[in-house]
Amino acid sequence: MSIFLSSNVIVLLFIEVVLFLFAIYSVIIAINILKNWDFNSTSPKQYSLEKKSFLVSTIIYFTILAKSFMFLFFASTLDSLSSIVPGAMCAAGIINANSYGNILLFLKIIIIFIFALWIILNRLDLKSTTYPYIKKKYFIYIITFILLLSEIILDYLYFSNISTSKPVLCCSIVFVSSNDTNGLPFNLSIDMMLLIFYILYFLIIITSQTKQNLISFLSSILFLFVAYYSVTYFFGTYIYELPTHKCPFCMLQKEYYYVGYLVWISLFFGVFFGSSSYLLKLFTKKEFAFTYKYSIIFNTIFVLVCTSYVVVYYLKNGVFL
Amino acid sequence: MIKITNLNKNFGNFKALKDINLHIKKGELIILKGVSGSGKSTLLSLIASMSKPSSGDIEVNNIKVSKLPDIHSCEYRNKNIGFIFQSFNLLEQLSVSDNIFAPLVVSNTQNKQELLNSALKKAKIIHKKNEIVSNLSGGEKQRCAIARAIVLNANIIIADEPTASLDRQNSLDFIEVIKQFKDDGKTIIISTHDSIFDNLDYVSRYINIKDGIIVK
Repeated sequence: MSIFLSSNVIVLLFIEVVLFLFAIYSVIIAINILKNWDFNSTSPKQYSLEKKSFLVSTIIYFTILAKSFMFLFFASTLDSLSSIVPGAMCAAGIINANSYGNILLFLKIIIIFIFALWIILNRLDLKSTTYPYIKKKYFIYIITFILLLSEIILDYLYFSNISTSKPVLCCSIVFVSSNDTNGLPFNLSIDMMLLIFYILYFLIIITSQTKQNLISFLSSILFLFVAYYSVTYFFGTYIYELPTHKCPFCMLQKEYYYVGYLVWISLFFGVFFGSSSYLLKLFTKKEFAFTYKYSIIFNTIFVLVCTSYVVVYYLKNGVFL
Repeated sequence: MIKITNLNKNFGNFKALKDINLHIKKGELIILKGVSGSGKSTLLSLIASMSKPSSGDIEVNNIKVSKLPDIHSCEYRNKNIGFIFQSFNLLEQLSVSDNIFAPLVVSNTQNKQELLNSALKKAKIIHKKNEIVSNLSGGEKQRCAIARAIVLNANIIIADEPTASLDRQNSLDFIEVIKQFKDDGKTIIISTHDSIFDNLDYVSRYINIKDGIIVK
């Protein structure tokens, strides 16, 4: 059976192609704006570009909104495919079905991240009467377009290379010998990883309060990776209440009260705001206090949710997993 | 106060305004005269930043209104322009007070009730303040539209064919109200082809527009 017979995959690819067509139209105008923009000019060309810029901003807003929902739909599609791919029990098995899966997932997150940065820059641009960041925001958009092009190619390569006859490995580790590695990078122990996890969290809080944007940026990016492994290999096992279940996706399901959405969305926004303070300063040469505030709020929600599962499990059972 | 330079406005291939140059000083009362379709309303909507030119520049109180992004255009209109439309553009199912209060809703001013009462008095419609607009006569609707235009103390009043739907007496009443605004120092631009505005001694200038061009 071809993977393209799945209705979810057909819908996903169809919408991605439609959004990409919008993106092609927008990037043509974005290039035109970058080449010909002269705010002080009162020529017909400049007025036309100002109108088109408003149209393109609206299209990009729509694309960002659609992309955010499409990311959730992508996760749900992977989950639905687990019933037709042997060995897969959830989306984790499907994402590892070929070498394109993890790259595609990472790329989709990066695109949403850059789009979120674009939204903030666009808002700042429209707040002013002279479009001070227009060239910067369309330059960012052109880079995003290249990523969107890569994404659509990877979408096709990924789905066309999922075999429905070849078994895949999934998230539950049933048999582990004592010599096996634990799956963490640099062969870190769980205790060491948790120590780094909480140190980085407090570093983000301190750097946000003291407004040290470069350290906040670096610690946020590092925190994203450490948090991913911490949730998958430690906190997730408390969410599933099963020490062998190490999966970043299953917590998105109904059985776990969709807590995965809260976990991953709060982490995304925490990391986004933690790192965007530096990036925004790079583009605008201004400090934006709200990024630090939201970084503290979202990262704290993330850490509290994760930690609460461990604490509640211990209080209920008197032991750790 | 209002400086218009090389202004053009095209609708597709139709050129509604052609190379308009105009300078209006603070406190002037300008009557734009011309037949229907000559470009009067287009010019007014551009001054009020309700649409953008195809080329050229409009500067009002040192603000380049033709270059304002849309969200800033709203703020500019709210603070600077009182617009009286030919068909009044009132919310028919709301009361007179509610209609006049509408610009105050999006304004940051503090003494909103005072401003409302003052506008009702100046436009001589205070006795109908609780009446639903659909129950008003044409002249009363006109006064309600005037009150809405002046409620935020806009320094520029723009009226597009204000007497087109009024009888002679109501048109004369409107002219009296406009004279009062002129005495208060407001800049007023009225587009009309009504002869009732001809030969008024307190009008600063009559400007004729024909086929999108200012005719001397």
